Order: sequence, then structure tokens, then C-alpha cells
Amino acid sequence: MVLVLFALLVSVFLVLPKQTRSLLQHLGQPLAQIVAFPLGALAALDRSLREAWGGYVALRHVYDENHRLRREIEFLRGQNSELREVATASQRLAALLEFKEGTGSETIAAQVIGRDATSWYRALVLNRGERDGIRPEMGVMTQAGVVGRVVKANSSTAVVLLITDPNNAVTGLIQRTRDEGIVEGTVRGLARMKYIPLLSAARVGDTVVTSGLTGGFPKGLVIGSVRSIERVEGDLFQSADITPEVDVSKLEEVLVISTPRQFDERATDAGSLLPKQPEKRER
Amino acid sequence: MKRALYAGLVLGLVPIQTTVLQYASIGGIRPDLCLIAVCLVGFVAGEREGMLLGFVLGLIQDLFSAGDPGLNLVTKGLIGFLAGLVGKLLANATPVAMLATLLGLSVVSGTVFLMAVRVGEGLADLFFVTRSVLLPQALIDAVVGTGAYWLIARRGQADQATQEKHGPLW
Repeated sequence: MVLVLFALLVSVFLVLPKQTRSLLQHLGQPLAQIVAFPLGALAALDRSLREAWGGYVALRHVYDENHRLRREIEFLRGQNSELREVATASQRLAALLEFKEGTGSETIAAQVIGRDATSWYRALVLNRGERDGIRPEMGVMTQAGVVGRVVKANSSTAVVLLITDPNNAVTGLIQRTRDEGIVEGTVRGLARMKYIPLLSAARVGDTVVTSGLTGGFPKGLVIGSVRSIERVEGDLFQSADITPEVDVSKLEEVLVISTPRQFDERATDAGSLLPKQPEKRER
Repeated sequence: MKRALYAGLVLGLVPIQTTVLQYASIGGIRPDLCLIAVCLVGFVAGEREGMLLGFVLGLIQDLFSAGDPGLNLVTKGLIGFLAGLVGKLLANATPVAMLATLLGLSVVSGTVFLMAVRVGEGLADLFFVTRSVLLPQALIDAVVGTGAYWLIARRGQADQATQEKHGPLW
């Protein structure tokens, strides 16, 4: 019976193929619609699973890559910082060397390794001492100007009393007016020039340089600039507050003057300080 | 143990004071580790040891300070001796007593420096230095020293409790 029905259907297909396909198409439409729901659901699930799996696998790679990149960034940051530090030190030392060559004075380069062991003095500790030729009373400078003077020299270290300490005094000269005086530190961390003649025409902004009369400094080394001038009625002299040229809180390297020579008095800024005598005596 | 501790103090305190302690300064004032150590040793071990350690630490401090040689030696020796006397007089050394002792001794030390060091001219400068150096220094020394004393006392109590439970440690 089934065989007969099957044979009949095949015959109809063979005799009327176009009509049979169209009929079957119409009959299958509702069924297709019904089946479409679970199919769509399953397809969506499948897609979700595939996406989730793909995402998970991909994320694992991204996580690894992210971790690797982070480490690389950290390494490069560190390297960058080191290179910047080396570049800064190199620039600083090159400037110091250039200045040292231009001074004409015999100098000893030293590193600042510490501050005074008490809070009562404004002083620095250097990594050079008597073994390197440093002696008390020697002047200390940078390319910017006067730093202070050596007050103690141990075998491998030295203590430098800063220009801003009240216990320090250096003879100074107002560059424009040629008036001399004594520059002392103040309790507030600045400097003060005393014993300026009453008739002096010194004014705010004038540069004060070393006079070379006393201490271990050559003539013409910048100390600072006049900040304010004080004239007290009845006093024989006037005095001036001075802003030091050197920022003593940020010193890393200095030059100790072992044999001072004269700087060019016309020099107005630290960068243009030139020796009077062209020959150099290198240590 | 005690000798190693003293050797460590002698060799380590001044280098720390001159180098790394600058990063721990408040308004340019750093705790005077030598004064604190001398005070604590004098307070705990007596005036003789306090004074001797004061002399040695003061001598080393003088080498790395711009002040006149001997100024720290004498001051620290005196402080060690006074701390020893105070330690003897006090029956119960509480942190408050330590705070007051350190404050007082730091003021004594500061006054010696104030008389010895040139601090500018006139009373205005003197008051300025007292206000900006002497008093903050005394306060910082007292707080840091009391903190150190409290830590040492706590450690001592813990060691004592361990000894009572398990016998001597060494």
C-alpha cells in the first residue's frame, strides 16, 4: 500500500514536476513558519555561545598583551627617566666644565653629599677634602656665582658655610657704582651688603660681585643683585638686601677655588665671566 | 649587644643626619638624632654612658658641621649627663615624662647654640631664630624622641613577656 502511494507520488512528480513543487511549497509554508521559531532561538544561542567563546579566547590574548604592554611601558618609563636624569647631569656637568675652563682660577670640582649636621648653620658637606687639596677659607662657587667658603676640611670631606649664613662675610663690590662693602648672610636666608658709602648711587637691581680683597674669591664673581636699599637717618653708611645669585637649596656640584685669579670686571652675568689671563692651569 | 648598638649609633647617626634626613625636614628643621640618642641612652643607661656617648656623637657631629669645633661635643656630653640625672630622679619613666625631658634638654642645647652662634643683629633677629629654629627644633626632637622611646619600651615589654614564658632569649 505504502509502496503504491510512493510510486504514485513519484509518477506525479515526473509527469507534473512544476505543479507538484508549487503545491508542496504552499503546503509547507505554515510548517516552515512554526519551525522557524525554535530554529531562530537555537541559532541565536549558537551565535551567543560562539561569540562568548570567541570573546573569551580573544580576551585571554588581549589580557596577556595588555599585561605585556604595561610591563613594556613601565620599563620604557624607567628608561626614559634614567635617560632624562643622565641628560640633565650631563648638561649640568658640561656647563660646569665650560665654566671651570673659562675661570682661569685653579678649581676642584666637588659633589654636594649632605647638609650641616645641625640645624643651626646653613652649610653643605662636599665629597672632597684635604686629600684632594681643599683647605679652610677656600672659596666655593658654581657657574652662577658665589656659594660660600670652606670652613672645615676633613681628609675626604669638607664643610662649606653658605653665603646666606649670618656667620659668613665676603667683601663685595657694586658693579655699576664701584662701591665696596661687606656681604653677610642674614637669619632669613638672604644676604646683606653693609658699609656702603652714604653718597653711593646704588639702586635696586644692581649686581654685586666679589671685590677680591679678602677671602678665597677672585674679583668679579657674581654674588647677587640688590633687592632693597636701607638708608637710616644719622648713619654713616647705608646697607642693601641682596638676593643671592645661586639657589643654594638645589646645589649638586660645586667648584672649590684653590688659587683665585681675577675675573673680568666687565662681566655682568655668570655665563660671560672670562679670565683676564688666557693661560689655563688644569688640575 | 649594647656595644653593637653603641657602635651602630656612632657610625650611623651622623651620616643619616647629614644626608637622608634632609628629606624629612619640616621648614628646614630636622630632628637632631644625636641629641635624641644621647638623651635616650642617658635616660635609660645613666649619666656616665649618656655623657660618653654624647661626647663621641658630638665630636663626630662637629666634624660635619660649620660650627666651632667642640661646641657639639660639650653640648651633647652635657645633655647626656643631664638626661642620666633626670632618668635617676624619675621613678616611672612615662612617655609624657620623656616628652618633657626631651623638650627641656633640646631647649638647653638650643640656648647654648644661640649664645655661641652669630644669629644676626639685634633682638628682632634673636627672636626670629628662637621662633624659627630653637623652638621648632625642640618640639621635633621631643616628638621624635618620645616616639622612639615608646617603641623601645614596647619592644622591651614584649621581650620581657617572651622571656617569662619561654626563658631567656640569649
